[in-house]
Amino acid sequence: MAYLAFIGRRMWQLLPVLFGITLVVFFMIHLIPGDPASTLLGNRSTPQAVAALRSQFGLDEPLYQQYLDFLGRVVRGDLGSSFVYKSPVRDLVQGRISATLWLLGMGALFSLLLSVPLAVLAASRKGGARDQAVRIVPLIGLGMPAVWVGLMLQLFFALKLGWFPVSGFGASFGEHVRSIVLPAITIAVALAPILVRSLRTSLLEVLDSDYVLTARAKGISRGRLLVRHALRNAAVSSVTVLGVNIAYLVGATVIVERVFALPGLGTLMLESIYSRDFPVVQGVVIVIAVLVVLVNLATDLAHASLDPRVGVEA
Amino acid sequence: MRRALGTLVALVLTVSACGGTTTSTAPTKNKPAKGGDLVIVKALDSKSMDNTTTFDNDSIWIFEQMMEPLYTVTEDGKGVKPWLATSYTLSPDKLNYTFKLRPGVKFTNGMPMTSADVKFSLDKAGATKGGWEFINTAIKSVAAPTPDTVVVTTKYPWAPLVADLSNFNNGIVPKDYAGMTSKAFYDHPVGTGPFKWDHWTKGSELKLVKNADYWQTGKPSLDSVTWKTVPDDNTRTLQLQGGQAQVNEFPPFSSLGQLKNSSTTQVTLFDSTKTDYLLFNHTTKPFNDVHARRAISLAIDRAAIIKSVLFGNGKPANSFMPPQVPYYDAATKGLQYDLTAAKDELAKSSTPNGFTATYLSAAGNVQDAAIAQILQGAVKPLGITIKIENVDPATARARQDKLDYQITHSSWTMDIADPDELVSFAVDPTTGAKSFYTGYSNKAVIAATHDAQKAFDPAARQAKYTFIQQQAADDAFMAFLYYSPYQWSYSKKVQGFLPYPTGNYHLEDVTLSK
Repeated sequence: MAYLAFIGRRMWQLLPVLFGITLVVFFMIHLIPGDPASTLLGNRSTPQAVAALRSQFGLDEPLYQQYLDFLGRVVRGDLGSSFVYKSPVRDLVQGRISATLWLLGMGALFSLLLSVPLAVLAASRKGGARDQAVRIVPLIGLGMPAVWVGLMLQLFFALKLGWFPVSGFGASFGEHVRSIVLPAITIAVALAPILVRSLRTSLLEVLDSDYVLTARAKGISRGRLLVRHALRNAAVSSVTVLGVNIAYLVGATVIVERVFALPGLGTLMLESIYSRDFPVVQGVVIVIAVLVVLVNLATDLAHASLDPRVGVEA
Repeated sequence: MRRALGTLVALVLTVSACGGTTTSTAPTKNKPAKGGDLVIVKALDSKSMDNTTTFDNDSIWIFEQMMEPLYTVTEDGKGVKPWLATSYTLSPDKLNYTFKLRPGVKFTNGMPMTSADVKFSLDKAGATKGGWEFINTAIKSVAAPTPDTVVVTTKYPWAPLVADLSNFNNGIVPKDYAGMTSKAFYDHPVGTGPFKWDHWTKGSELKLVKNADYWQTGKPSLDSVTWKTVPDDNTRTLQLQGGQAQVNEFPPFSSLGQLKNSSTTQVTLFDSTKTDYLLFNHTTKPFNDVHARRAISLAIDRAAIIKSVLFGNGKPANSFMPPQVPYYDAATKGLQYDLTAAKDELAKSSTPNGFTATYLSAAGNVQDAAIAQILQGAVKPLGITIKIENVDPATARARQDKLDYQITHSSWTMDIADPDELVSFAVDPTTGAKSFYTGYSNKAVIAATHDAQKAFDPAARQAKYTFIQQQAADDAFMAFLYYSPYQWSYSKKVQGFLPYPTGNYHLEDVTLSK
């Protein structure tokens, strides 16, 4: 019940955030130079044609009126219609959100699969060779640009071995899984080093604590101690680190989406900014804002479930 | 960074090809076969299937596979040939064109194509606002006296009419959109073309499937064609190499050398009408001075730009008209690199000691950046300082429209096999495009443009266009930079793939071997 109330409160808090976002995104995209009509019509356009199209898009209305129209639509759950595709923004977002969610989900999963064993390995013998290796080697991944990592994965696993498609998202569930592996690994290569360091530090702190000494004195094996007792407590801070990074990635997956030709929200937003497709930019930013809030909410809930001292009243 | 990565990818691919890691069969074993799904990868998604209001080639080249015009461009881009019409006659007063329609043509919904459909299509193509209606401005009316006859009446004698009708905006669709709304129709278009609508997943792929009732018996060979949006140049190359795609639209010029070495793919440079220009804003000083414009035009080493931007795959432009357009005059003496002459011209100008100007550059455009840098160095000996202002492409486009720049870069490709489309746009400010957004206005050139539109005798038209080209070159209203080809890389399993100089391609002629 406390969790439900907490979720309800967070959803309520989302409203002023969304209102602020509508203000910022609407005026920023409208005030930067560049005209949707002339961009869409290209270099063959005439001023008359541009004026006709601007009128058709409602861009000849006063700016405040355009904002009020936009806000009115958002309140009714209508994100408007794309200038470029001439189809509802809602449909475009629905078509693209799947790839982004797959990418974020699998990226987070692969990051955990990489970082947890490595952190446990490093913390199991502080200062040892394994610890040194785990502290240094993942940093290489952090230093490599995603575009490079993606390219190398494509060349080796897709082109040479043929295990995965070079790019694309596929149409079926199975194709989605195969298509998302290399992009997710690309994200994990950059994300895992941060998690490894965070988790290793937390594990070492926990392993130095009194209750661990007591457990050791009771004769609990080192492996069981690490996995059953230390890891759960150490995971608390790492969950926050993971949550913050995933929230950041929601709007920053565009490079990985581009390299792997994934039809995701990041690419849609970038294309829309270039073509000054105002309704799509506004709609995607709102959806991304909601996703960020939801990821943060999930992080808080996970935090609370891992650490009983952390309540959900706040 | 992107170019360096591209080079690296090409290098890796070359090494892997040499190492025998590719598994496809040798090209000599490839035999044309029926069927197959041709996958074409391209950087940008299509925008709309509305053939009357859509301006991007990524849409146009696709909907042309579904909606066909009465006449179409010939392979060399210099003429037209009958397509959904079989012939036409012109009345003695040169105002009435009577077209005979091809018998037995059906739309993909099973309905026969008649003159009523043609009238509907041409009427709506001329009635758009903010679309391609300017192509049809000379048309006064369209009549359908019999089911297989169409009469197009022009407002005045108009030589480019048949070429105009070959443009995609005059593609034939069913009367009244076959009972649908315009939006519903263009969401699932119906035409007479070799392929028909299947689906479009926006941002990802668009697929057309074979029209089994196509009027060209035995065509198309392909079962379907899928255009996939793959923004990254390297990824498109890898998809082609990995067999996920068979055709790669416009690989970077920097990668062509290495791609040619592959055993499974080929690179072909097709003649195009693409011409690149440096635009001068004639409404600002010192570009209202012909000598200043001529000085800059003479100072540009076009060969250096071609080497840097196109990796040698281009030719210096001598005219604002490209060689693949009818009435292009190879003898036009366009200004070419001559530093001494450039200094002499500047000495005659209102700014003999040089000046400072700003080059409006579209950020992220590699060609634009290279041209700006070469220009900076080229005019330095004249005492001219060029500052480069980088703005995003949409901003650059909007500022060109408003003549809010001093120097900038633009390009052109032809859509029809008649020079009037380009000439009217480029040198006749009365068409509304401000003479290619330069503000150029020369009464003699404008008059010659109008005369050429009404001249039916080829020799008389040639004389007019020869004059226009030379006068425009002498006025240096733009600096004509270079002509470049269309570069395509595609699998050696693909046969019959032939983009025309106008950029479009006929996929009914393409086969895909197993």
